[in-house]
Amino acid sequence: MATSAQPGQLGLAGSAGAEALATSGTASTEGPERPGPLQDETLGVASVPSQWRGVQGIRGETVRARKSCQTASITTAEASVQARKHVDAEVQTEIPEPVSLPSVPRYNGPRLAAFLRKVEAMVTRELNKNWQSHAFDGFEVNWAEQQQTVTCLHTLSYPPAQGQGLHVTGVSWNSTGSVVACAYGRLDDGDWSTLRSFVCAWNLDRRGLSPQQPSAVVEVPSAAMCLAFHPTRPSHVAGGLYSGEVLVWDMSRPEDPLLWRTGLTDDTHTDPVYQVVWLPEPRHSHRFQVLSVAADGKVLLWQGVGAGRLQLSAGFALAVQQLPRNTKLKKPSRGETEVGATAVSFSSFDPSLFVLGTEGGFPLKCSLMAEDAAVTRMPSSVPLRAPAQFTFAPHGGPVYSVSCSPFHRNLFLSAGTDGHVHLYSMLQAQPLTSLQLSHKYLFAVRWSPVRPLVFAAASGEGDVQLFDLQKSSQKPAVSVRQTEDESPVYCLEFNCQQTQLLAAGDAKGTVKVWQLSSEFTEQGARETEHLDQLASEVAS
Amino acid sequence: MINPVEWPLVGSLKAVATLFTRMCAGRETGFNLGAPSCIPIKSTMDNPTTTQYANLMHNFILKARSTVREIDPQNDLTFLRIRSKKNEIMVAPDKDYFLIVIQNPTE
Repeated sequence: MATSAQPGQLGLAGSAGAEALATSGTASTEGPERPGPLQDETLGVASVPSQWRGVQGIRGETVRARKSCQTASITTAEASVQARKHVDAEVQTEIPEPVSLPSVPRYNGPRLAAFLRKVEAMVTRELNKNWQSHAFDGFEVNWAEQQQTVTCLHTLSYPPAQGQGLHVTGVSWNSTGSVVACAYGRLDDGDWSTLRSFVCAWNLDRRGLSPQQPSAVVEVPSAAMCLAFHPTRPSHVAGGLYSGEVLVWDMSRPEDPLLWRTGLTDDTHTDPVYQVVWLPEPRHSHRFQVLSVAADGKVLLWQGVGAGRLQLSAGFALAVQQLPRNTKLKKPSRGETEVGATAVSFSSFDPSLFVLGTEGGFPLKCSLMAEDAAVTRMPSSVPLRAPAQFTFAPHGGPVYSVSCSPFHRNLFLSAGTDGHVHLYSMLQAQPLTSLQLSHKYLFAVRWSPVRPLVFAAASGEGDVQLFDLQKSSQKPAVSVRQTEDESPVYCLEFNCQQTQLLAAGDAKGTVKVWQLSSEFTEQGARETEHLDQLASEVAS
Repeated sequence: MINPVEWPLVGSLKAVATLFTRMCAGRETGFNLGAPSCIPIKSTMDNPTTTQYANLMHNFILKARSTVREIDPQNDLTFLRIRSKKNEIMVAPDKDYFLIVIQNPTE
């Protein structure tokens, strides 16, 4: 039975609706089609009151509680999203137009003149006051924390190499300044030994640096004499061996680090390689070749070609007959025509100019562009040229190290077995000054990369000496003792990225990383001018 | 660098030239005369250095001037000096132009 109740009348029509329900019910059943005899009647409602509540009341007090439980209905909602619009946009960089100085605006001449007249008096007054001012004399500002002394930061060693009694013959910092590598070999053996030797690298920026455990170790078939990291690739390192080979390793590959080798061909050096240097290729300045300098008088340029071979791309040979005669040299003994080269340093101002240190004790100024063919009996796949252009006055013994100044185009240092360091200018054969640093040999000398007047030298007495030409040209500013028993320090290198670090390797097989005091790392005022002054006044 | 024929008046050309020579008589490194939009008008240094100094000093001068005026609105910037380890930069500002001088002081 459906009753359609009007919305407003529902409450009032409660009972009325019930009656309507009743009457309609009877009305509907009394329809005209309905048969007569059966009549429907509605009777009253019979109700039986419930007993259970009363029963419960007899027994005791009733506690009625009504509890209901129903899970709350879970509300769900549905939503759908669709992107109906999209926009395409393209981005392209355009070749930047060369920045040209904007055209000078049309300024007002008289107003400019008036401004200058007004300002001139004040500016000239201030300029003159500055000449006489003592206001800032001795006024120094410290932007970084000052370090007062030279301290040893790390003492690195490789016990198996030390167990064989090997010396550290070369150290090198990589291009990022965080890895130091050293080459083990022997500098006092004269024979062809089958000594297996090592090249080790430590990553100083790594946490948990263990001084006795290098982060990379490479075994080399013969004693390694020198080492040089690639200038831009942080893991490539070139080394020269006692056997005359030049090898290039990739220290980031522990299972097969050897990248290129020269092999033992006709082109290879026949004597120990004393120094290797990376040079940019003449046409592709992002690719590098390796230059090696050896005691057989050859200076060779190697290029890495496929299949791991280093191929000779250019070469130079030194012969006594072809040395420039501007300096009087000792007459060579009969039959000896080769001049062994022991050290090389390239000028930072002219990339084709380099200085060679020789076994005869005289540095040579050489050029990569030299054209004359070399007089040599040695076979070679590439014609060898004679590079020497100028001969400097000799030391008292072989020169072990040369270093060109990064701040002055003409100055370079050389150190030799006579214990002296000579400061030369490229323009004259006699040295500008000669300093005696040690009574024994001097094995390495390097200019500081940040201070134009500072250089460091490694001595045979076990010290690393730091010289500051500004303070005193006679005695070292700082002398640090590296080895206790006076065994020599064979090599040292400044770290060009972290300029307060200096690595030095000695005969006990340890590499010590020294932290320099702030006076060696910050350039003072006018040092370059002092250097120029030094070069010119001593030369005269 | 300017083309001298652009100077409108001969008189002012001579005046400016004499002022410059007088001020350059010491051991100063360089002079840089700029318009307020920091375009260099005349300089004794080479072009790249001149533009570099002009661009870098422009904001610095405006900042210094606004600092001074903010502390005291009646005040204004008359002269600016920056002293570094190697040299001293001096700026004389004006409404339309400013003059930058770099001096190497004697020690």
